[in-house]
Order: sequence, then structure tokens, then C-alpha cells
Amino acid sequence: MPSRRRTLLKVIILGDSGVGKTSLMNQYVNRKFSNQYKATIGADFLTKEVQFEDRLFTLQIWDTAGQERFQSLGVAFYRGADCCVLVYDVNSMKSFDNLNNWREEFLIQASPSDPENFPFVVLGNKVDVDGGNSRVVSEKKARAWCASKGNIPYFETSAKEGINVEEAFQCIAKNALKSGEEEEIYLPDTIDVGTSSQPRSTGCEC
Amino acid sequence: MQEPELHDLSDDADYAASLQQGSASMMITRSDSGRSTSSSVPEGAEIVYSKDNVTIHPSQFASERISGRLRLIKQGSSLFMTWIPLKGQSTNARLSERERNLYTIRPVPFTDVRSIRRRTPTFGWQYIIVVLSSGVCVCVCVCVCNLLLKAVLLRIAFPQLYFYNGGVKEFLATIKQHIFIVRSLEDANVFLVNDFQNPLQKTLSSLELPVYIASGPSASVSDGGESSSYELQERIGGSIHDEIHRPSQNPGRQRHKSHDPARDLTIHVLEKFSLVTKFARETSSQLFRESNSNGYGAIERKNSSQTLLDVPHRPSTDAEIAPEPVPSDPLEFNKMTLVWGKPRQPPLGSEEWATFLDSEGRVMDAKALKKRIFYGGVEHTTRREVWPFLLGYHAYDSTYAEREYLKSTKKSEYETVRQQWQSISTEQAKRFTKFRERKGLIDKDVVRTDRVLPFYDGDDNPNVNILRDILLTYSFYNFDLGYCQGMSDLLSPILFVIEDESESFWCFVALMERLGPNFNRDQNGMHSQLFALSKLVELLDSPLHNYFKQNDCLNYFFCFRWVLIQFKREFEYKKTMRLWEVLWTHYLCEHLHLYVCVAILKRYRNKIIGEHMDFDTLLKFTNELSGHIDLDAILRDAEALCICAGENGAARIPPGTPPSLPIESENALLYAQDDEVL
Repeated sequence: MPSRRRTLLKVIILGDSGVGKTSLMNQYVNRKFSNQYKATIGADFLTKEVQFEDRLFTLQIWDTAGQERFQSLGVAFYRGADCCVLVYDVNSMKSFDNLNNWREEFLIQASPSDPENFPFVVLGNKVDVDGGNSRVVSEKKARAWCASKGNIPYFETSAKEGINVEEAFQCIAKNALKSGEEEEIYLPDTIDVGTSSQPRSTGCEC
Repeated sequence: MQEPELHDLSDDADYAASLQQGSASMMITRSDSGRSTSSSVPEGAEIVYSKDNVTIHPSQFASERISGRLRLIKQGSSLFMTWIPLKGQSTNARLSERERNLYTIRPVPFTDVRSIRRRTPTFGWQYIIVVLSSGVCVCVCVCVCNLLLKAVLLRIAFPQLYFYNGGVKEFLATIKQHIFIVRSLEDANVFLVNDFQNPLQKTLSSLELPVYIASGPSASVSDGGESSSYELQERIGGSIHDEIHRPSQNPGRQRHKSHDPARDLTIHVLEKFSLVTKFARETSSQLFRESNSNGYGAIERKNSSQTLLDVPHRPSTDAEIAPEPVPSDPLEFNKMTLVWGKPRQPPLGSEEWATFLDSEGRVMDAKALKKRIFYGGVEHTTRREVWPFLLGYHAYDSTYAEREYLKSTKKSEYETVRQQWQSISTEQAKRFTKFRERKGLIDKDVVRTDRVLPFYDGDDNPNVNILRDILLTYSFYNFDLGYCQGMSDLLSPILFVIEDESESFWCFVALMERLGPNFNRDQNGMHSQLFALSKLVELLDSPLHNYFKQNDCLNYFFCFRWVLIQFKREFEYKKTMRLWEVLWTHYLCEHLHLYVCVAILKRYRNKIIGEHMDFDTLLKFTNELSGHIDLDAILRDAEALCICAGENGAARIPPGTPPSLPIESENALLYAQDDEVL
């Protein structure tokens, strides 16, 4: 497939307030963790160069405010996203239950060209807390939800300890890149009545 | 009752005009449906619903909104919907005939409607999308070409209809009275009219939001004049530059006509390019000077290859140093500072503060006090006494005794409200989700609010607990508004200054009287401020405004954080307190913070334009300005801009825009979420 040279991959991190969106982003980009991050107001992003098959890409990672009241800003921020990362806190059922809202809201506001196949990645963060004893969302439950939404790749992470963060973002970048390439071969006169919306390849083989 | 209503419709000039030109328009002329193309309301029809101020937003830009009248018309067993733009509404003044036709919805029978989707965004008004039953198959492929997307959408759905005066519920209820509609099982906000089995409903609903239908033609309406004036400014900048460095004798007169021939010539030329207000002449003149002294052009362009991300680490570049005109003699200096904002004075100390009070503790001359603080701020140790006045908690004419009395009554009042949540037992909390969530959110935020400050430092810091208690108490005191992120940022300096828990609470309450709308669920407070900001930039720097317009930045979300928490994240703590007390004086105007925004943007305008920043880059840029803004210089600029803008500026800020006190009306109801439909 002749692919246009893409240099920028835009990734949006969504999830409830305090699940660790800013921390994940900073752990991945700066390999740093701090207890001092302030609540994100509005939105911000960091960039990181990533390499795939001898090509360099700039991963632009958007960190957004987690309070529902600010969701409407998404229209401006989600535009042109290549991948959406949904984050919840494995120690908070509410943050897990809200994943569906975040996903729906993203699809509405970003209105990607092919919502059925838009790549999401789910991260269950804070697995380090209390040695896992305060965990309330099981991995099984999370994976079941991901499977029901078209096999969304799933990772359990700790931004604090740096667990699985690199792996997760590798997958995120890969999916973002794939999303862009699919878009390129998508012809405007193709008529797709929805039956061909096969679930995406099962997870990320990384 | 029916007769006059019908007569009204057939007599409606707008309606008739839209029909006459209907064939030329792009509007949904559904030739496959004979009924819908009928040219007027059928005989014997009855208007069962009519709502004015139902508005279409062709673009993100508020001035391009089209206000209209939505109606439901019943004929026999058929129900029709119409929407016509209304003439004579100020927002519609720029609307061309063609655009009016483009958006007019001529009677559409509900047999052609597939579904109605209702949305209640947190930012803005409740709106609906009416999805038609035609064109469904094409919609899935609208992935690549934006134009195609627009074209297709025109055939499958109408643009969002925003109910400025409410009435969505009534609208849906009226429909339900006359035809069979059912709520979608998948989405409670989707009401299905005809095809309840629609497999593509999901796809359709996901297409709705950020599509500004046919924004092309409307966006270009005023481009011509403004962009040519920009070119003009570039060309004649030199001659104006000379003229500018001889400002007129006094600042009051500056806003009025001057007889400087060079100025008159400038004005004459500019008028031809529709910069018509007296003020615009002043502003454009200033602009030229700034452009020249900033060296926009050769120097900037040479530097434009530098990356944006470098900027904040080089704080003292062009923008920081250049625009300050260097006065040549003391006499000139005074005149110059009148234009550019006065130099800041030392802060108000306790001894001087005492001179403002009479023997019983009343502030004798509140205006003089505000002026003094506006130009110098307050010494930290005196803040505890002064802030309650600035915030409006204490009346300026109150005595020491009255304030003492107030303190004690307010203390018990505070404790009563605090008791309301403190008395909730763990067992009770288990069945009180809203309380748990609210408390959880506050708990999460207080531990990440200003923890680097010694006052909030360390484990189990009592001040962090007080911060939490006040915020939780406030969320009971104003239960409808509740807690929203950003509030902890606003409270933190107040508690730091006032120290006393109850007094801090009441000062915070006073602040929230003005800034509460920043946190409204519908975000209308933020919306109105960002809108006012865009109007001020349009007034004070039209080339920059045009640049934002061309680059899809008119939502001003890149200033969101500045406005939401009053620059709290942009300055170090001490500077934030200084800025706030200056803003709170409302000495020059209530909206100085918006002029601060303009001042900052103007400082970096050459960089923004020169480096062709798009929305994302601009957001990153403004975020990274944090900690690199020279407060005193910006305050002087903001003061100057505010004075220069004068009434023209004030006229661009809608009444009730925070921090103005809210206009007493139905606004009080806006807090509440009315989510029950049908």
C-alpha cells in the first residue's frame, strides 16, 4: 500500500479525574514520576519521537481534564486524533464504569471517519497501589469489556513504577499509525453498509 | 387562535423570500418527496409548536449564528417541521440572502425523519439534530473529503438547532402527541421516528458534532475588508510610525479627534478599509508602532525557523524587551506612560492602609483605595485585612465593630453548613453516591494543589485538610454548582492569606459570586468570556484576529486555563496574588483579566503569526508561557489596552460576563440539570 508520509501521530488520553493520565504521559515521555502533578485544566500535550520500521514519527500525546464538566472542550482537542487511550484506575470501579462514556463521548466529539474501527487502547493504571490489595476491577472484567468493544488492546500499568508503560505506548503508537494508513486507502466512494465492520485484529501483538 | 397564527406564517416576509429563492439554494430540496416541496403551509394546517431563538451555528464563531423560529405544523394526520431565520435580529445582520436560503428548513414531513437526537453539552445550549431517512447508505463512507462530508450531511441531517430559550423537552413532547416516536434503547437521547430497526443508527449519531455545515461561505463574509487593511497597515506602517511617537497632550483627548495632519490622513485611508470607529484609529496606530518596534518582518521571519518549543526557555526575547518605547525626555515620559500604562507603585503597606480608614474603621474613599491597589497591590501582611473588602465580603463602609460581629455570625453559619456533610455517617455515605463522588474529587484535588508551597507542604498537612473542608462545605452551600476542578486553585491563595477557615470560606463564597459561572455545567461563563475575548482581540488587533480566524482558533480554548482560574497557573504564587488583588479592584473595568489576555497575546503576536502556529501549537505555546510572563509589563499593557478600548471595549463584553455579577433572571436555573424528557 503506497502510504503518504505521516510524521505526526496524535493520541488522546481520556479517563476520569485522578486515574493518572498526566502521570502516564510523563512516565512515557520523560521517564519521570511525580506526586506533584496538578489537576489538568483544559488540555496539554507532550511529544515524543518514535521509530517504526526505519521511519521516524512524532507521537503527540494529549492530556485532558478528567472532570466530566470539561468534556465539551473535546471538540477542539480531539480533532484529527489517530488513537484514543482510555485510562481507568484499577482501584476505582467508577473510573472503569465510565470508560464507556469516555469512548462514546470521544466518538461523538472527534467524529472519526470510521468510528467502528477507530483504534482505542485501554489502560488499567495504578496496579502498584497497596500491593494490589485495594484493587476492585479484575483484569478479567476489564478484558471482557475490551473484547466486547471490538477487541480493544488492554494493558495493566503503573505510571509510578513504570510498569508496562513503554509497552502500552508502543502499542498505542502502532495503532495510531495503522489508523492513519487505513484512512489513506479508504476511498470516498466506497459504500460500506456496516456489515464489513469486522472486529479489529485481536489486541496488539506486542 | 389558529387563524392569526396561520396568517402570520403566510405573511412572513422571510418565509416568502426563502421560498422564492428556494430553487437556487443548496437547501434540502427533497425532490423524491413531493409533499415536502409544497411551497407554503397547507390549507387547514395548525401550528402546534413555535419557538423563537432556535439557532443554527454555521461555524464556531458566535457572530455567525443564525437565530430563527422553529415550528411544528400539523395537517390532517401529518406533522411537518419548519425553521426559518429571523430578520432583524442583531446576530443575523451579516446574513446574506443566500445563506438564509441555505439554512432555511421548508416544511419537512415527519415521515421523512428517521430520528431526532438531543444533546445537552456542558458547553453551550441544548440542541437537537434531526436525521432524515434518506441518504443513509452514503453516510458511512464520508471519511476522507471534508467537502463530501458536508454535502452528504446536508442530505441526511439538518444542522444542529440550538434552543437558546430552552424548549427541547416541549418540542419532543409535542411531537409525541401527534406521531409515534420512541426512545432508542441504545441511547436515551435518540428518539426514533420511523425506522426503529436502523442498523446504522450508531454510525449516524457519531457523525453529528463538529461539523460546521457550509462554514465556507459564511466564514468569508468579512474577510475582504479586514485583510486588506492588514496589508495596508504593512504598507503605510512607516509613516504612521513617525506620527505615533508624538502622542497627543492628554490621554482623554487621545480618544477624540486630533488635528494632526498625518493622523487625519491615516484615518482617512483606514476608513476606506472599514476600520470605522474612532478607537480603531488609535488601536491601529498603536499596532503599527508595536509592529515596528518589535521588528516584525525581517527579524521575525529570519527567526521563524526556530522551533516553538524553544520559546519559553528563552523568556527575554523580542516580545519581552522590545515594545517598551524608550522615552527621550521626562516630559515625554509622562505622556508616554499614559498611553502605555503607568509604572507600578510599591505595594500598599499597613501604615498607609490605616490612613484609608476613619476612627471606626470605615474606608473613607473606596475609589482612592482601589486606585492605589490597582497601581501597587498590597503588602503581603496587609492582605488579610484588605482582601475581604476587595472580594466584597466586607462592605467598605462597615466599621470595626460591624466586621467583628459579622465574623462571629458568619462563623456559626459556616459551621452549620459544614455540619451538614460532617454528619453524614459512613453507612449513610454508602447510599449517597453524589456525596461520595464529590468528596472523592475534592480529596484528589486538594492533595495536588500548591503542595510545593510550605503552607501546604508535607504529609497530613492541616491546611490541606482545611482546603478540603472548605471546598466540601462550599459544595453543600452551593449544591447545584458543587465542586469543579479549578476551584481548589482559586481557594488556595485565599486560605493562605486569610488563614482563618470560616473567613476564608466566606471570602471564597464572595469570589465565587463572580467566578462561579466559570464552573457552570453548561460552561456558559467560560463561553461568554472567551467570546468577549475574541471580540476584544478583533477590536485591538484585527490582524491577529484574522489570523486566528483563518487558522480555526477563534474558540480561544488556548486561553481557557488563563480565564478559568485567573492565571493561577501562569504566574508564581506571589505574582498571582498580586495580579488577583489588582483584578479585584475593578478599578478601570471589571474585565481587566480579558485585557490581560489580549496583552499577552499581543506581546507574542509576531511569534504566533510569524511561525504560523496552528491551534495545537498555539495551545502548547500558551501553556508553556507559564512562568515566563512579566506581570508588571503585562499589567501596564492591559491597563493601556483597557483605556484605549474604552467604551468600544466595554460594548464588546456582553452584560453578565464574569466576573460581572450575574444578571438576575432565569440564569439561576442554569445550574440545575433538567434531564427529564418525555
